[in-house]
Amino acid sequence: MSATVLSVRKLSVFLRDGRAEQTVVDGVSFDLAAGEVLALVGESGCGKSKTAEAIMGLLPSGLARLEADEIRLGDVNLARLGAEAMRRVRGRDLSMVFQEPMTALDPVFRVGNQLTTPFRRHRGQSRREASNSAEAMLRRLGMPDPDRVMRRYPHELSGGMRQRVLLAMAMACRPQVLIADEPTTALDVTTQAQVLEDLVRLGQEAGTAVLLITHDLGVVAHYADRALVMQRGRIVEEAGVGDLFRAPTHDYSRALIAAARGLSG
Amino acid sequence: MRSVASKLLNGVLLVLGVTFISFLLMVWFGPDQTYTLIGKNASPEQIEDVRRQLGYDQPFWQRYGEYLRELATLDLGASNASGESVRALLARTVPVSLLLMIPGFLLGNLLGIALGLTAARHRGRWGDRVVTVLSVTAMSISFLVVIIAFQVLLSTPYGLDLFPVRGWQVDGFVSYLQYVTVPTLALVFVTVGYNTRFYRALFVEEYGKDHIRTARAFGAPERLILWKHVLKNSMVPIVTRIMFSIPLVVISGSLLLESYFGIPGIGQATFEAITSGDQPVLKAVVGLTAVAFVLIQTATELLYRLLDPRVAR
Amino acid sequence: MNGRVETWSRLKGDPAGVAGLLIVGVFLLLAAGVWAGVLGQGWADASGGRWESPGAEHWFGTNVLGQDIFERSVYSVRTAFEIGLVVAVLSTLLGAALGALSGWYARTWVDGTVMWLKGVLDAIPFYLFVAAVAYALQGRPWAMHLAMVATFWTTTGRLVRAEVLKLRGQDFVRAARTVGLSDARILLRHVLPNTSHILLVQGTLALVAAIKTEVILSFLGLGVQDGVSWGLMLAESTQEVPAGHFANFAAASGMLFALLMGFNLLADALQDAMDPRQASL
Repeated sequence: MSATVLSVRKLSVFLRDGRAEQTVVDGVSFDLAAGEVLALVGESGCGKSKTAEAIMGLLPSGLARLEADEIRLGDVNLARLGAEAMRRVRGRDLSMVFQEPMTALDPVFRVGNQLTTPFRRHRGQSRREASNSAEAMLRRLGMPDPDRVMRRYPHELSGGMRQRVLLAMAMACRPQVLIADEPTTALDVTTQAQVLEDLVRLGQEAGTAVLLITHDLGVVAHYADRALVMQRGRIVEEAGVGDLFRAPTHDYSRALIAAARGLSG
Repeated sequence: MRSVASKLLNGVLLVLGVTFISFLLMVWFGPDQTYTLIGKNASPEQIEDVRRQLGYDQPFWQRYGEYLRELATLDLGASNASGESVRALLARTVPVSLLLMIPGFLLGNLLGIALGLTAARHRGRWGDRVVTVLSVTAMSISFLVVIIAFQVLLSTPYGLDLFPVRGWQVDGFVSYLQYVTVPTLALVFVTVGYNTRFYRALFVEEYGKDHIRTARAFGAPERLILWKHVLKNSMVPIVTRIMFSIPLVVISGSLLLESYFGIPGIGQATFEAITSGDQPVLKAVVGLTAVAFVLIQTATELLYRLLDPRVAR
Repeated sequence: MNGRVETWSRLKGDPAGVAGLLIVGVFLLLAAGVWAGVLGQGWADASGGRWESPGAEHWFGTNVLGQDIFERSVYSVRTAFEIGLVVAVLSTLLGAALGALSGWYARTWVDGTVMWLKGVLDAIPFYLFVAAVAYALQGRPWAMHLAMVATFWTTTGRLVRAEVLKLRGQDFVRAARTVGLSDARILLRHVLPNTSHILLVQGTLALVAAIKTEVILSFLGLGVQDGVSWGLMLAESTQEVPAGHFANFAAASGMLFALLMGFNLLADALQDAMDPRQASL
């Protein structure tokens, strides 16, 4: 039994809509074990992304409200952490990769400038050291000419390359947990598989637990160890991936799987 | 190379368009200057003479062509009212207008940026509301009302009586401050509302962008996000805004401020030329502003290239 | 795109917007009263004493000619609305038409011409343009309106052009084209209605700009020639204020401020109701 690296208890997120409040995440609880790949599956709008943002402390402050008994990372309860302390955790012990690589990087700064940031900020490296670390990371991701990539601006790179850069940034400090929110949905099919392979591989090499958010059951089947099925803000099923596909216990899970099967014939 | 040529062509077309419309309206449809020059009791020969001098006997295109030639060679003639050479008039008045308008224009924008940032940072909370209410209020007060009110409050015994009521006797930095302060305050007051609205919208949009979320996800402190990410990405819209509000604010604004405060700048000269029908001056001012507009556009394009790596080199 | 029902309910829930609407409504009633010949008819009547203080007979006092300031202020509401409405409606229509054409035929000579026209009109100093138009029209009263419409449409035009460009690439437009609908029909029936939120807000803002511009033009002597407006009243007051008589100034600036504030609040509320992302709430 692996140690639990992330423990979430009764996490709820409320969105303000005018004067009313909408519950988008409703009392979610789960554990993430060290080194495992846990998939969070559900349709768009079920609250998967908001759960991730809540864990990261990235909810829009004026419009969203967070309630949780516990969001335990290692031995720190993130739910009770102040803003300054949370800032130090982000990118170092807990990282996230988002869905849309085309807009995730700052367009007016070179890739190198952005990629070296986690190394400089969280590992205290100098500019030269960080540059070397960044290049090493890119090489591990299979990029043949990291030096040239670092000197480019984001708009000069393809979506797949940008996502790899973001992945490199996220893994720079060998975080305990990596949250990947639909990391390949916006990429073309051939690139999708490559990026996911890279993601899982890097995670294993660093001992990082991965929370993989997706609506694609194919991805779940291929890459995840366990899966959480989410519907309208609640977790309706939790199972090992094999069990989930062989014998889903909840109607919604069954419907999802059936629909996916239907599409792939 | 092609883009430089096409930009140049656009500039020329613009200048042509502006001069054409102005010429059409002012000179072709405008008042007959003959009697202004020689009075009512002139002989038919004298009238003929003057008309030939003014070029009234020539067809439209010839007169327009003549106008363009005058502009191109800076052969601007002399003011009908004062006889002063138009070139001398421009040399005298333009620096005054610049000294008058630039501080208020820059301050109005800087203040607008600062307030807009504050509102965007504290979006939805009371800081934002206060800024919004203040800017809507400022936008609802007429420039004229502001000028009159400030003059009363700052320059007359009914108020603080600290500054000269009107005029421009500037012979050093201190006297400059005395004469420029009240108009500058008025200009800032009038423009800050509009500027703040614009910059607030801009910064709200920037703050909502994905790459800001990425920066936060990697632990960037708020100050860094503001200065490094938000501001640098906003430079292009900010530059656009400032450059393209120059004609509106500086040129039109100077007319009103100078007329009211009796400041001898190009705005006042233009207004006097309008009321007295002083065509040489008006023709020169129109040509000058058209060229300035084109120069501003060109400068803006160059600045874009410096500020945004996505703009093709 | 927000439905009309949602927009209306959002508007109703916005206290600033409601306040704006009420203020505008009150002023509209005043203007209607003047048009109907019921209010403000004594604006030219110089029967009062010079610079009388506000009192029972002259609620706001009188000006240097003995004219009743209250009557003049109320009559000016009509002037303001006339100019505001004419300029707002015409400039918005012109901006919509030219902006739509420009966006639809983007990067063709049509677009090029409209953009050139926009550049030219933006480059001409506004007061010069008004004066030039006034000359050309030989003193007919609508020089001011014409000049304003000719220059105000550019902002609306720019925004409509951008929106039409966006809409042009959307599915429903492609569908309409495949079905064989003519360009004109697609523009009029399908594309332009989707710009109505822009037009409404810009129209309100143009109204505000028109009223403010008239004030300055009248002060410079280039504006209202017969009748009275707040601009003319303020022009009068520049002589009166140094002598210590503030009634004219207070009345004109107070009413002007109230009306402009009302419209600005309304424009803001409309904008927020149609596009809540930008709201400060």
